[in-house]
Amino acid sequence: MTVASDGARAVPLTGQVPDDRLLLRARDVSKRFGGLLAVNSVDFDIPRGSIVSIIGPNGAGKTTFFNMMTGYYTPSQGEITFDGQPIVWQKGKGARSRSPHEVTRLGIGRTFQNIRLFSTMSALDNVLVGMHSHLRSHWWDAVLRTPSMLAEEADAKEKAMALLDLVGLRRYADTWARHLPYGDQRRLEIARAIASRPKLLLLDEPTAGMNTGETRGMIAFIRQLRTELDLTVLLIEHDMRVVMGISERVTVLDHGEVLAEGTPDEVRRDPKVIEAYLGRGAAEA
Amino acid sequence: MSAARPAGGGALGVWLRGIVRGLAEIPDEYAAAFRRAPRRTALVTLLLALVVVYPFIYRYVFLPRQSALPLPLPDDTVMVFMLIFAALAIGLNIVIGFAGLLDLGYVAFYALGAYTAAFLASPHWHGVSLVLNPDVLPGSPGIHLPFWIVLWLAAIVAATFGALLGAPTLRLRGDYLAIVTLGFGEIVPIIFKNLINVDFALGPIKLVNANLTGGPLGINPIDPPTILGIRFGAISGFNAVYLGMVIVLMSIVIARNLERSRMGRAWMAIREDEIAAEMMGVNTVRTKLLAFGLGASFAGFGGALQASYQGATTSDFFQFSTSILVVIMIILGGMGNIWGVLLGAITVVYVDKTLLPWIGQRFGDIGRALDSPELARINPAQFNFLILGLVLVFMMRFRPEGLIPSTQRRVELHEAPPDQAIASAAVIADQAALATVAEQTAADAATEQALEAEAAEAEAPGQETPSQESREAEDQS
Repeated sequence: MTVASDGARAVPLTGQVPDDRLLLRARDVSKRFGGLLAVNSVDFDIPRGSIVSIIGPNGAGKTTFFNMMTGYYTPSQGEITFDGQPIVWQKGKGARSRSPHEVTRLGIGRTFQNIRLFSTMSALDNVLVGMHSHLRSHWWDAVLRTPSMLAEEADAKEKAMALLDLVGLRRYADTWARHLPYGDQRRLEIARAIASRPKLLLLDEPTAGMNTGETRGMIAFIRQLRTELDLTVLLIEHDMRVVMGISERVTVLDHGEVLAEGTPDEVRRDPKVIEAYLGRGAAEA
Repeated sequence: MSAARPAGGGALGVWLRGIVRGLAEIPDEYAAAFRRAPRRTALVTLLLALVVVYPFIYRYVFLPRQSALPLPLPDDTVMVFMLIFAALAIGLNIVIGFAGLLDLGYVAFYALGAYTAAFLASPHWHGVSLVLNPDVLPGSPGIHLPFWIVLWLAAIVAATFGALLGAPTLRLRGDYLAIVTLGFGEIVPIIFKNLINVDFALGPIKLVNANLTGGPLGINPIDPPTILGIRFGAISGFNAVYLGMVIVLMSIVIARNLERSRMGRAWMAIREDEIAAEMMGVNTVRTKLLAFGLGASFAGFGGALQASYQGATTSDFFQFSTSILVVIMIILGGMGNIWGVLLGAITVVYVDKTLLPWIGQRFGDIGRALDSPELARINPAQFNFLILGLVLVFMMRFRPEGLIPSTQRRVELHEAPPDQAIASAAVIADQAALATVAEQTAADAATEQALEAEAAEAEAPGQETPSQESREAEDQS
């Protein structure tokens, strides 16, 4: 599957996604930490409007891959194109990457495996920070409180309240993020990610630490988001019920490589996947 | 009146009309605030009025009866220094309190502000004569710009160097940033001290034995601030106190406006979690540079005021200890809260410049009365940092959030253990489970609901712990 790297590509890819149904296209992406090859030559596509998942045992390289898509890590090699724009491109022998805030502006929003809200800011302010890259006012507008800045702030507050409404947290708008119950913190994190107006929403274990009822609620919520906001969603998940219940395509990573790819049913029956998750004996049984 | 004029003048006109409208709303807003919290508003009003008339009260009521007072009161010079340090503390609070960047070299920007004022309003460059200040005799040697221009230029120079210092330190965090800024704070005054007898040649620029900064003696005299012929220098009594009040008021307004903006939110987001902030689209490089630059500009105000007020500036004035003094003001007053920081500046300057010397004098009196030269020689002003350090230790032990804390800090330092949020989440989950059970037994639904309502009523105070707590926190702010 790996595209043969035909020498170094000096110019970043632009607008060359062969299939414009693809929102994100990753080719031959690798990440090496010292001697450890965390992600090894992974190809990965996300069709527009879909819900896809990456699963895999602990240490499979899922979060590393996530971090490369968002510009947090620069891959050792590879190319990632998002919505016709390069996020990672080859230059010389290595790869270059956009910085995270640029990637966010292009339209990738994310949540974190271990919640990373701005804990002593209000829920409303958390969402407003999410809108940061779409607000135009400069510091001198703030100092002078220009009419355009005041109008923009009022508008942003209104939109942020609407987002809090969407995730059911309007009544907590003035509460510190850290005072919210755990499930609500997860929802707030999603609201904050949506505030950056993403085309692609990356959710890193959105149901981690949730009970069955809360998990079911989260699945319904993610579906609702996709249809209401016209989003594409990529999940990293441990919980097989979530993955199987919601995804249209599943990619299994193990030891930094793509082990299997397909619909949830295909993946579930794949003996290699069963082996990776449950051990060799289980696959033969 | 400009509000009544017909539309026109573009953006500037819109903005000016906005300002005028904003000013017109102040009485209404004040009335509203009075209705909301009459006692607090009255207290604040009284306090402000007292601050404004204090210089008069001091001169005409307290000064003649000074020996009868149980405690000393700050005189004109101390008042001006309170205001200078208030401007510094407000600026450093942007860097440390808002953006969470520990800057221990803030004195560098204070020095840059003071020397900028010295260069632009003194006979120092006696080879040229550029007099733009109407209160200086035309043809006088040196550059003489009007104070209001000098003030802003000093802020711009300080801000530029703030951004320059910020640039190489952006990848550093915590202790490492503190060490680099500390170095910068040492370097700048030393450069000012040593740029005398400079020999330098680069292309057409040729300096032989040039005196750039006045060396250890500094620059002296510097034009006093003058506005419409009124002097605001050290020899003009308490005039300068009012000039300082105007500058501090301006600083408060600027800092408050920045705090409540997109940029203020970005600073706080970086303080809370830099990685998350960057992932949410905050350009952390730009935002941190802005914090450094804008924070430094307030030190430019302070420096310009110091140089013009005292009419002299030397590098000895800008020691590392001054940086620490400003940090102490912020911690003592309440990091992140502009009013707290203001109180911190006033308190520290009062203790340092009025209270401790006064205690020293009392020791002198007692020592002479008891004929004990050892006792008379005790001078607490000499170990001011020991005393301020002790105060800090006690603050850390008993009120780590400062005198007037920001809500964030208070919540951080005084809330119930973090498990509480999770515990309450568990309670809510249990309730959800209960609710599911209730749905399933549809027959008993009505009874269940009634029971639940009762239970909810009984449990209401306990359930609402998290939101109640934050509401309390807000009420107090």
